[in-house]
Amino acid sequence: MNERLPIADSAEVRRDAAALLRLYRGSLAVVLGLNALAAVAGLVGPWLLGQLVEAVKEGTTTGHVDRLILLLAVSVLAQTVLTWFARRSSFVLSEQVFARLREGFMRQVLALPLSVVERAGTGDLVSRTTADVDTLARTVRFAIPETLISAVTVLLTVVAALVVSPVVALSCVVGLPAILLGMQWYLRRAPAGYLWERAAYATMTGTVGETVDGGRTVDALGLGRRRVERIDADLADAYRAERRTLYLRTVLFPTVEVAYVLPVAATLVWGGWLVSRGHASIGEVTAVALYVQQLADPVDRLISWLDEIQVGATSFARLVGVTKVPDDRSATGEEPEHERLRASDVRYAYVQGRDVLHGLDLDLEPGERIAVVGPSGAGKSTLGRLLAGIHPPRTGRVEVGDVRLVDLELETLRREVALVTQEQHVFVGTIADNLRLAHVEAGDDDLWAALEAVDARPWVEALPHRLETVVGAGGHPLTPPQQQQVALARLVLANPHTLVLDEATSLLDPRAARHLEQSLAAVLAGRTVIAFAHRLQTAHDADRVAVVEDGRLAELGTHDELVEHDGSYAALWESWHGGR
Amino acid sequence: MPISATRDVDWRAVKQLPFDHPGDPDTRSSARFLLWVGRQQLGTLFLGMTFGIVWMLAQALLPWVLGRAVDEGLTTGDSRALLGWAAALLGLGVVQAVAGTLRHRVAVSNWLQSGFRMIQVVAHHAALTGPAVRSRLTTGEVVATVSNDALRAGGAFDITARLAGAIASYFVVAAVLLSTSTLLGLVVLLGVPTLVGTLSLVIRPLQARQREQREQVGQLTALGADTVAGLRVLRGIGGERVFLDRYRRRSEEVRRAGVRVALPQSTLDSAQVLLPGIFIVIVTWLGARLAIQGRISPGELVAFYGYAAFLVIPLRVAAEAVDKVTRALVGAQRMLAILRIEPLVAAPEEPAAEPGPGAVLVDDRSGLAVEPGLLTCVFTPSADDGSRIADRLGRFADDGLVTLGGVPVASLDVASLRRRVVVSETDPFLFAGPLRHELDPWGRATDAQLLEAIAVANAEDVLDSLPEGLDGHLEERGRSLSGGQRQRLVLARSLLADAEILVLVEPTSAVDAHTEARIARRLREARRGRTTVVVTASPLVLDQADRVVFVDDGRVAAEGTHRELLQSSPAYRFAVTREDAA
Repeated sequence: MNERLPIADSAEVRRDAAALLRLYRGSLAVVLGLNALAAVAGLVGPWLLGQLVEAVKEGTTTGHVDRLILLLAVSVLAQTVLTWFARRSSFVLSEQVFARLREGFMRQVLALPLSVVERAGTGDLVSRTTADVDTLARTVRFAIPETLISAVTVLLTVVAALVVSPVVALSCVVGLPAILLGMQWYLRRAPAGYLWERAAYATMTGTVGETVDGGRTVDALGLGRRRVERIDADLADAYRAERRTLYLRTVLFPTVEVAYVLPVAATLVWGGWLVSRGHASIGEVTAVALYVQQLADPVDRLISWLDEIQVGATSFARLVGVTKVPDDRSATGEEPEHERLRASDVRYAYVQGRDVLHGLDLDLEPGERIAVVGPSGAGKSTLGRLLAGIHPPRTGRVEVGDVRLVDLELETLRREVALVTQEQHVFVGTIADNLRLAHVEAGDDDLWAALEAVDARPWVEALPHRLETVVGAGGHPLTPPQQQQVALARLVLANPHTLVLDEATSLLDPRAARHLEQSLAAVLAGRTVIAFAHRLQTAHDADRVAVVEDGRLAELGTHDELVEHDGSYAALWESWHGGR
Repeated sequence: MPISATRDVDWRAVKQLPFDHPGDPDTRSSARFLLWVGRQQLGTLFLGMTFGIVWMLAQALLPWVLGRAVDEGLTTGDSRALLGWAAALLGLGVVQAVAGTLRHRVAVSNWLQSGFRMIQVVAHHAALTGPAVRSRLTTGEVVATVSNDALRAGGAFDITARLAGAIASYFVVAAVLLSTSTLLGLVVLLGVPTLVGTLSLVIRPLQARQREQREQVGQLTALGADTVAGLRVLRGIGGERVFLDRYRRRSEEVRRAGVRVALPQSTLDSAQVLLPGIFIVIVTWLGARLAIQGRISPGELVAFYGYAAFLVIPLRVAAEAVDKVTRALVGAQRMLAILRIEPLVAAPEEPAAEPGPGAVLVDDRSGLAVEPGLLTCVFTPSADDGSRIADRLGRFADDGLVTLGGVPVASLDVASLRRRVVVSETDPFLFAGPLRHELDPWGRATDAQLLEAIAVANAEDVLDSLPEGLDGHLEERGRSLSGGQRQRLVLARSLLADAEILVLVEPTSAVDAHTEARIARRLREARRGRTTVVVTASPLVLDQADRVVFVDDGRVAAEGTHRELLQSSPAYRFAVTREDAA
C-alpha cells in the first residue's frame, strides 16, 4: 500500500536549480567578483619572484628588492582582506539560498494532497526532510561555493601564466589529459560509492537506534548477541562501501598528482629551451613554473567537491520531486446543502482489478452513532477513508449534502467530516500549540472547554505550565491516553458535524479506552459518528451496528436486532459476554 | 613494529573489518580509552607515519629541486642538467603521488579501525545491557555517539600519518634553511609553532559558533521531522499555516546562526592567507637580501619561496591535529558514558542450581502461583499492577521475591532464566529485517512452525501483504505496519520463543473483537500442555483461560475460571462488568 513519492528527473532538477540561482543573480555576481579579486591578489607572489630572480641575476639594489617585497606584503594584505569579504559574502549568500530552499520544500510538503499523505506513509518524507535536506546543506553551503571559487582561481591562474608569457604557459596543458580522464573516470563512479557509504551508515544507525529503543525486548528475548551480529553485519557493509570509494581514490590520486607535477617539469624543459633561444627570460619561466605548481591546490579542491555536488543533486531531485505530486482534488465550489452523509454502491481497489470494497451502501442519519465491526482486513479502514473524503471511490459516490466529498475545498471538508485514526501525533510545542492547529483563533477558554469535554482538564491543570507546557518528543511526556485526549480535544475544536473514528481508542489500555469513550460521549453528542470499534461495548452503545465482512455490508441494524438475528455479530457478543 | 605491522594490515595496506572481537576497552578515562584504541593498531599507525613522512618530505624537497633546476639548468643554459633536474622533479612527483596514495590508504585504515572498534565496543555494550541504556540516555544520544562521535574520534588516528610527515618536514625545512642562514632557520623554527598556536586560537571561537549552529540545525531538522511525522494530523485537521510559519521562523534563526559562523569562518580563512603570507614575505625578503649579497643563488631564492609556501601544509595539519584530538577526547567522554552503564538487574555472583522443568513460578508479593501446564489469566483492575507482576515474574525488576521451584529467581543465571521465562511486555518492539528472521531470531523454527505461529496470532494479512512472504522485509520498528499488525506479529514471535513459561501482557489490546476471540482460542490450543500467563482485562481472553487469577490491590483476591468468578466473586464481576456498564 506504500507508494513512493516521485523523484525529479535531471531536466527538472536543472530547471529548478537555475530558477533558484536566478533569484540571487546580483549577490552571486558580487561573491564571484570578490573571490576573483582575492585570487588575483594571490597571483602576485610568483610574478614578483620572477621579477626578483631577474633582478638578482641582472644585479640590483636593496632599495629595488625592498620595493618588490613591499609590493608582496601589500598583495598578501590585500588578499587577506579580500578573502575575508569574499568568504563572508559567500557564506551569507549560501545560507540565504539554503534557507529559501528548505522553506520552499516544507511549504510543498505541507500542501501535499491528503490521499498521498495517507498512502505514501511518512518514512520516505521524513528521510527527505532530514537526510536529504542535510546533504543539500553541505552541497549548498560548501560544495558549490568551493567549486566556484576553485574554478575561478584555476581560470585566473592560467590567465596569469599566459599574461607572464603566453609561449611558456603552453606547457600548462601537459597535465590536462590525465586530469580530465582521471576526473571523468572518478566522477562517473564516485557518487554511487558515496551514496552506498551513506546508506550503509544510515542502516547501521537505524539498527543501533532500534536496539536501544527496544532494549527491553532485546533483553526479554535474549537477543543481545543477535543484535551485536546485526550491527557487525551493517558495519561490514559500510566497510565494503568504504573499500569501494577507497579504491576509486587509489586510482584517482596518483593519476592527478603526477599530472600536477608533470606540467612543472614540462615548463622547466620547455622554458629552458625557450630561454636558450631567447624567446623567454628566466624570470618568466620561474613565474610560470610557480603558477603551474600553484594550480594543484584549486584543481584538487575542484575534483574533491564535484562528487559532493553530484550527491547533492540526487538529494535535490528528491526534494524537487515533492513538488511534482499532482493535486488529488479540484474543488467545484459546490457547498453542501445539508449534513447527511451517504455512500452508495462504493467500490475501491488499491491494486487495479482487486477491489477491497464490493459495492457498499451506507446512509447515515444526521446525529446518529453507527458502529462498524468486522475482522481485520475486511475493508473497514478503507471505508473510513472514503467516508472521510480522503480517497474518491473507484465507482459509486460518497457525498455530504448531495456534494461529493472530493469536490469540496479542503477547508470546507474539514468542517464537514474528520477522520481520527489510531496513529496519533503530539507535536513538539505547548499543549496550546497542539490544540490550536485545529482552530487558529481559539482563545484559552475555548481550549479549556475542549479539554474539559474530553476529560483532560484535570491533568492539564496539574502540568507545570498548564496550557503552556511543552510536550512532544523531548518535552513533558504524555501517556498514550493523554495523547489520545489531546487528539480528541483537537477534534472538538475543529467541530465537524461528522466524525469517523477509525480504531481511535484501540491502542489504549482497555480500561483507559472505556474511560475515554465515556468521556467522549458528551463530545460526540449531536454529531454523526461512524466508529470503527474494537470493543464491542462501543457497538452496544451505538444507534446502529454495521458488520463489514469481505468488503461487503454483512449485517446492519440496532444491537438488539442483530443479537436477535443470530448472525456473526450475535456469536461475538455471546462470547464477549461470557454467557451471562 | 614489523611483526604487528604485518599482522594487522594486509598487502593492500587496509585491514579487514569489522573486528570479530573488538576487545575490552580501558574505561578509566577518555585519554586512556583513546590510548587503548591506539594500542590495538600500533602497526597501522607506524606504517601510516612512515608513508606520511615520505610523502611530506617529497613535497618539501620539490622547491629544492626547482631551485637547482633554475640554477644549474636555466641560468647556465645547460640543457642536459635542466633535463636531469626536470626528471628529478618528475621522479619526486611520482614518489609523492605513490607515498601519498599509500599514506591515504593507511590513514583511512587507521580511521576505520579505530572508528569501527569504538562503534563496536559502544554499540555492543548498548545491545547487551538491555533497557538500562534507555533509562539513562535518550536513543538519540546513543545513536549520535555511535554514528558521529566514534567516527569523529577516529579522525585523531587518521591524522597521525600526516602529522608525522608535517613534523618531519618542518625539521627538514628548518635544517635546510639553517644551513644557509641562521636567521632564516630560526624564523622557520620559531615561526611555525607560533603560527600553529595563533591558528588554534582563531579556530576556537569558530568551533563554539559551529557547535551552536549545529544544535540549531539539529533542532530545525527535528522540527521538520516532527511536522512531517504528524502530517496526517495537519492535513486532516488543519494547522499547516501555523506549522509552516513556525518552521520558517526557526529556519531564519538557523540562517542567522549560519551568518554568525560566517564571521569567524572567514576570519579563519583569511588568517590562513595572512599568517603563511607573512612568513612568505619575511623569508623571501631575507632570501632576496642574501641573494643580492651573492650569498645564495637565484635558484635558492626560488627554493626559499617554495619552502615558505610549502610550510602552509604542515601548519594546517598541525592546527587540524590539535582540533581532532580535542574532539576525540570530547567524543570519548560520551562513549564512556555509555560503556559505564550497568544492566538494571544484577547477575548473581554464584548462580544457584537450576530447578528442573515443571517448576512452579511464584510471585510472593501478590501470592500468585503459576500452575505448570495451564493457561492462567491474571486480571488486575489497574493496568500498572498487571505489568508490575509480569516484570517481577521475568525478573525485570527486583521489587519482591519471586521463586521458581522454590529457588529465588534473583539467584539464577539471568540468561538461562530469560530462556525459560519469556515475558512479552505491554509495548513490545519489532526490529527491521526479513520477516522470517524477525519472528524467529533464534533461527530454530521450520517454515511450518513459522506459519503456524502466524496463524495462531491471526497475522496472515501481514504475510499476504509482503510479496516475498516469509522473506519479505520489515521496516525499522515495524513502521510500515498498523498497531494491530505489529501486535499480532509480536505475539507470533513470543510463541516461537518456545518458552517453558510464557508471560504475555495485553497481547491483543489493539486488535478487533472478532480477531481477539479467534486469537484467544488459537493461543489456548497452541500452548496446550505448556505454562502460559496472560495479563489481560479482555473478557474474550479471560473466557479461554484454564484458570483466572483476580489480583486486587496487589494481592490475589480470587481464583477460578472466568465464568466461575463471574458467579462467585462480586468484586471480580464488578471489576469486569464495570467495563460492561454502558
